[in-house]
Amino acid sequence: MNESVRMIVVLAVIAMVSGGVLSFVYDWTGAIIAENQLRQMESSVFEVLPGAVRVEPLGTAPSTLVQDDPETSREVEQTTTQIFVGFDAQDKALGYAFVGEGPGYGGAVRILVGVDGESGEILNLAVLNHAETPGLGSKIEEASFRNQFKGKTLDDPIAIGRDIDGISGATVSSRAVAEAVRRGFADAAAAYERSR
Amino acid sequence: MGALIKDFLNGIWNDNPTFRLQIGLCPVLAVTSTALNGVGMGLATTFVLMCSSILISILRNVIPEKVRIPCYIIVIATFSTVVDLVMHAMLPDLHRVLGIFIPLIVVNCILMGRAEAYASKKPVIYAAFDGLGMGIGFTWALTLIGAVREMLGAGSLFGVQLVSDTAATFGVFSLPPGAFITVGLLIAGMNMISTRLRKAS
Repeated sequence: MNESVRMIVVLAVIAMVSGGVLSFVYDWTGAIIAENQLRQMESSVFEVLPGAVRVEPLGTAPSTLVQDDPETSREVEQTTTQIFVGFDAQDKALGYAFVGEGPGYGGAVRILVGVDGESGEILNLAVLNHAETPGLGSKIEEASFRNQFKGKTLDDPIAIGRDIDGISGATVSSRAVAEAVRRGFADAAAAYERSR
Repeated sequence: MGALIKDFLNGIWNDNPTFRLQIGLCPVLAVTSTALNGVGMGLATTFVLMCSSILISILRNVIPEKVRIPCYIIVIATFSTVVDLVMHAMLPDLHRVLGIFIPLIVVNCILMGRAEAYASKKPVIYAAFDGLGMGIGFTWALTLIGAVREMLGAGSLFGVQLVSDTAATFGVFSLPPGAFITVGLLIAGMNMISTRLRKAS
């Protein structure tokens, strides 16, 4: 066989075989990956809404951005807020949980906030994912920081330096969490009210 | 058989990719902030390295000289993507930590280096042992670096807290500069052991 024809044939066959293998593996793992992500989100909702035994998504609402002050504000595109409603054992709606996103030091910080449906107070907050510096920004996951958000309502400023203490050495990461809470809160509360 | 064992041990000590050949340092520096990350990245690389070495060795007489590099890249990229997807499905927790580094296995020069220097010239069984030895050498190196950095930087080992939560730790070891310092000191230590062994024998 001609050398250049051989080159083309060998490379084409290798590429075709890997393409086939990849599409097979993608098909096989895709469903499991989606299932895992759903499970993970559900267990996070259970974590931030104590007492909930069933979770139902409430769809999405566009979020509006509430900014700290003009100095620290930056242009942020509108994000979509995922909202979940948690039900207790008697199938009564306990409250809701929403996903908020804020700009951190190493990329977006995504959090899940659980809110009591009656009082409108934040029950708990979980960090879904972040890429903050280990040992500094990663402290946003620690309970001592997250617990400061408990009991806050829409009427509170929820801002670092005002009613929330930031983590020393991790100002950007701390602000990202506060901003993530503020960004989704109003929309999520309104969407939950409408659904009642 | 002796040659097989020699090939296998080569990667673990004499030609250790991290401490001796000093190739593929990008993931070494990036992922070794904890011992567990080191193990995970090491095992993922070992799997890709062994599979690609075997396949490239099988195909060594089929692949024309001029297109060998694209062929190696396709083979390595396929195995890396398979590892990425399977890890995402089966070990989501590990994937969350290593996720962004797995695709980097494709450009890890250990893989291209072994494919070009070894697997493309040797029979399958030798290539497999070479890949396994190199992979294990890479894994123990990453685990050791990760263990040192985790102990000094976070005061824990494999996630188990060794000192009290409030104790001061050397935070720098969790950050990129700590990776350079640790790798440098470990290479110096390994050179010292090798010199001693040579003098003794």
